[in-house]
Amino acid sequence: MGKPKVKRKSTLIDMTAMSDVTVLLLTFFMLTSTFLAKEPATVITPSSVSEVKVPDSNLVTILVSGAQPKTDGSLDRTVEGKVFIGITGDKDSTYSTEKVRKDLLIEAAKLYNERHPEAKVDFTPSQVSAFSKLGMFGMPMKDLPAFLSLPTTEQDKIMKEFNPAKVGIPINDNRDMTKLNEFQIWMDAMQRIAQDYKNNGSVDGRGDPLPPNDHFYKALKQTGDGIAVKADKDTPYSTIHYVLDNLQTLKLNKFSLMTALKSEND
Amino acid sequence: MAQIEQSDKGGKKKGAQKKMSIHVDFTPMVDMNMLLITFFMLCTTMIKSQTLQIALPSNEKLEQSQQNKTKQSEAVTLILDTERDADGHVVMETDPETGNIYPKHIVYYYEGKPFEGTFKDNDVDGDSFIDADKLKLKEQRFRGNTDGTTNGIRSILHERNKEVMARIDDLKKEWKAGTLGSKKEENDSIFKARAREIRNDSTLTRPVVIIKAGPDASYEAVISALDEMQLNQISRYQIDNINATDSLLIMSWLKAQGKI
Repeated sequence: MGKPKVKRKSTLIDMTAMSDVTVLLLTFFMLTSTFLAKEPATVITPSSVSEVKVPDSNLVTILVSGAQPKTDGSLDRTVEGKVFIGITGDKDSTYSTEKVRKDLLIEAAKLYNERHPEAKVDFTPSQVSAFSKLGMFGMPMKDLPAFLSLPTTEQDKIMKEFNPAKVGIPINDNRDMTKLNEFQIWMDAMQRIAQDYKNNGSVDGRGDPLPPNDHFYKALKQTGDGIAVKADKDTPYSTIHYVLDNLQTLKLNKFSLMTALKSEND
Repeated sequence: MAQIEQSDKGGKKKGAQKKMSIHVDFTPMVDMNMLLITFFMLCTTMIKSQTLQIALPSNEKLEQSQQNKTKQSEAVTLILDTERDADGHVVMETDPETGNIYPKHIVYYYEGKPFEGTFKDNDVDGDSFIDADKLKLKEQRFRGNTDGTTNGIRSILHERNKEVMARIDDLKKEWKAGTLGSKKEENDSIFKARAREIRNDSTLTRPVVIIKAGPDASYEAVISALDEMQLNQISRYQIDNINATDSLLIMSWLKAQGKI
């Protein structure tokens, strides 16, 4: 008479299938994802019924910061209306984001120096390459070289502090093409390099000619999806209209406003 | 973690190959993958933002002859404003009819000219505001639809553009039935082209809308106004800057309402 033996069950679960699934999911997310660009200011875009998607190449994003709530509940209006610019280049690697940003900085510095011979700015190659890695920038031109020499953590710190006197591209109400403000200088530089890309790819004759590419030019000047203005829904129009009027002065009449999708039952 | 088990069932036979079953414990691997997935899911955006395309008029001064003058009867002017409290927050209000809460975006509007004749004719009582009975300015809100009926400013724009709207509605029925083209893409593209044709058909009475945003009007209000253009199939509209006459009109309206 022997006692029936209780069979010991192994608690090992075969994780191979699970692992397969997770690896697949991981691959999917890695391939489809675009990282959220680091933005200096968080804005809540207004919603609209428009279903046109933001293009993922050849895009100038203009971010206008909104007022931030203070600890006592009132709004801090001093941080409102600061302008930042973000550049995304072409899918074609010849005109990659990095290249466009580098060209833009050099061109903008040139235009700036022509207008401010008393306070010229100069960028070292390492500063230019630091600039090409910035997702969004917004600084007075005179502070930019020093900012670009800082390590990334320091740069982030300055952006996070958001001192209204130190961040944001200077902008004012200007309709005179001969007295462009800094925001207009950046946008004008963008127009010019897009024009050069369309012609032969060498900006201002610097460097060797490249295969012409008119994607950015078309986006800026013809279709109007090369510029996206992103602003907070509560920002007053008196602030936004600087950006719109400035673009109008530069004959960049067609552009888009960034919105979130709203469904409308009609 | 990995285990190699030797199965030794039965007696040991000489020359028989040893059977090995290999178990690799994938649990840590799965753990790590899950963490990575979570990271990617949190850091990415699947939903792309939408954009609303606008075209501003050129800044250059046109010759008188080149200018397309808008007929008075076609013009509708919207003046946008947003009420803010002392702290600068946008005031919220409840719609008495539906009970929904909306930000308080005020739409002042007038059709054609803001008033007939000169300013003097309209200020009989001499308080330097336009008299209430002469003022053509009215006030509305962005209210959207409830149960298929249009409310607020939308009903006014809808009424002004009803010829176009009626045709587009007919076209939409055909499009939904899929009778415009054999393939889905064809159906869509014909619908878009025909809708554009209808919107720009000069034989129909269509309004020209001028959107003016006051200094306090929020960006959201401007977008809402542009949305109304799209929803009401209005092809001719423009964004303009507010001027002194508009401010005077609003002040006169507020006075007529007893608000100032």
